Amino acid sequence: MKLLNKITLYTTVSKIIIVLIFIWLLPGIVKDLNSQYTNYNLGEQKKKVLDNIRKRGIDYYFEGDSSYGSYTMLKEEFIALEPVNSHYPVDSIYTDKRIVETDTLTYRLLDYSFEYKNKTYLLEIGKTVSAIDQYNRPLQKVASYTLAVLIFLTLILDLFFTRLLLRPLNLIITSKLLNRKFPFKETISPVKTSTTDFKYLDQSLTDLASKIKDTFEKEREFTSNASHELMTPISILQNKMENMMMDQDLNEDLREKIVSMMTILNRLKKIVRSLLLISRIDNDQYVKTDLIKPYVLLEEVISELKDRIELRKIRIMQSLSQSIEIPRVNRDLIFQLIYNLINNAIRYNRDEGEIEISDQIIPEESYIIHIKDTGIGIHTHEQESIFDRFKKSDKTGSEGYGLGLSIVKTIAQYHGMHIVVQSEFGKGSTFKIYFPHWLKKQTVI
Amino acid sequence: MNVLIVEDEKSMALEMEFFLKKGGYLCDLAFTGKQARQKMSEHPFDFILLDLGLPDQDGLEVLKDAKKNCPEASYIILTARGDLEDRIKGLDLGADDYLPKPFSLLELQSRMQAVWRRKSGLNDSTVSLGDFTIDLNKRIVFFDKEEIELSRREFDLLSYLMLHKNRPLTRSQLSDHVWGDFSEDDYDSNFIDVHIKNIRKKMIAYAPVDWLQTVRGTGYKIKI
Repeated sequence: MKLLNKITLYTTVSKIIIVLIFIWLLPGIVKDLNSQYTNYNLGEQKKKVLDNIRKRGIDYYFEGDSSYGSYTMLKEEFIALEPVNSHYPVDSIYTDKRIVETDTLTYRLLDYSFEYKNKTYLLEIGKTVSAIDQYNRPLQKVASYTLAVLIFLTLILDLFFTRLLLRPLNLIITSKLLNRKFPFKETISPVKTSTTDFKYLDQSLTDLASKIKDTFEKEREFTSNASHELMTPISILQNKMENMMMDQDLNEDLREKIVSMMTILNRLKKIVRSLLLISRIDNDQYVKTDLIKPYVLLEEVISELKDRIELRKIRIMQSLSQSIEIPRVNRDLIFQLIYNLINNAIRYNRDEGEIEISDQIIPEESYIIHIKDTGIGIHTHEQESIFDRFKKSDKTGSEGYGLGLSIVKTIAQYHGMHIVVQSEFGKGSTFKIYFPHWLKKQTVI
Repeated sequence: MNVLIVEDEKSMALEMEFFLKKGGYLCDLAFTGKQARQKMSEHPFDFILLDLGLPDQDGLEVLKDAKKNCPEASYIILTARGDLEDRIKGLDLGADDYLPKPFSLLELQSRMQAVWRRKSGLNDSTVSLGDFTIDLNKRIVFFDKEEIELSRREFDLLSYLMLHKNRPLTRSQLSDHVWGDFSEDDYDSNFIDVHIKNIRKKMIAYAPVDWLQTVRGTGYKIKI
């Protein structure tokens, strides 16, 4: 999951949880607040009554009667004052029913006893519960709505800001990682950001890429220079010999010697060329952006080798699936790989032999091409080493310089493929080319 | 034909000059990019053989400017750097061909001829060989207007020998031309023999082919 999505999810969920908790707690809080306020209110009224009595005497209320009672029009509030006989002091707030005229109503009551001129009086102040509660619901509603609106606003602000904050990260990922192709030829300007972490990340990635590029360029320059240094003298020698050969008066003996020198020089040329090819592949100097059809490539290889196949009277049987496509490879290299294997299959075959090329699809796993010949085969103990550079099979004598299969192996490794050989000496060999699992998305059977 | 050889390796340039002069070309040498620019400004050339690894300038830059100043000339890039991009860049800049070092002088001449044929647009590209006629553009061999069916490789061999007639060619020179990078010496020289045998067999049915000679210990030549 992307960081932005994670943060979005987290903010939203956490805010929703907070709102739910608040809404769940709200009635209790409002009620509690309300009752505290009512208690306070009753207390204030009590103070006022006591104050009046102290200043003006109790008759200010009694006016000659033995008790005093007063209530508002809707009987929401009342005050009662009467003398009592008991002496223990009363000072409490509680909820109870009272009959005012004919109506029985539930009140929040404050009872307070006090002494005045050696007589004990009881003061009771009441407020109906319904009057207290009447503001609960609208209060709760207003509180809930306000909260919801506030939360919604902060949520939007949060998400907007996070998006803004994370934008450089997104830019870094797309410009420096996803859209960049090795060997990082183009230079990309730094991502603009005021966040130091991102700045650091961006800088590190840029540095890293340029370091890789430098190393790559150095390797490339090296092979290019090595190639130049090795090929130039060979080239001069070859041309000198060619010019010597043109001499009409050249005696036969000398000419044969020159021819033999040319053959040896040719051998050196081929070895150097193969080694340079291997080194270039090892240094990633080939782009893997081609989409190939093995069937088409094989046809091309066979047509390239047609003369040899016909001269040796070899029968080719090929049954590759025509719809298989392999993406992200270097076409020239894969061509060379198949060419080398088919060429070997011809070369080490018997006259009028056979070469069978078939394929196999293991769904979700790999695509395999089998190249089976009826040639001389390879000893079991040699099967391991045939791909090693300059390793010569003791049976093949002077044939081959051991680099054809090394090139095959190098190309295969470069593409994440691998080659397996099965062989029985004297009967023939089968080379299996495994194209790895990345194929599966593209496979159309 | 005027040829400018731009090559910093002196002995190499001299060998090329020696070879091409024998083939009837007029050669001029330049060992640096600066010299090359000067020679090109002095008089026009039909061919410019350009080494990319010059000591003073980038060969590709020289090519870019030369294409502007000498658009008539044909350009063949010669390089030992073996850089894959050089080839693409060179051809993009308008070079007519690209020959990686080490190359055979015979191959160089063959490429020059091919470029010349292509550029001059000659419709008549036939040469006669004994009683036969070879059409180099259509890649067909005729005997009295009758077509002789040669395989692609057989035609390559015959025309290469024809181009360098009266000169013995070794089996490896022949296989280098026919198979290029994919040639393998010991193995391919047998195929050269078989191909020559087949060429003789196919053509002798029409007329004698004594012009196609085997040179003992060397290879083959066409003598006319």
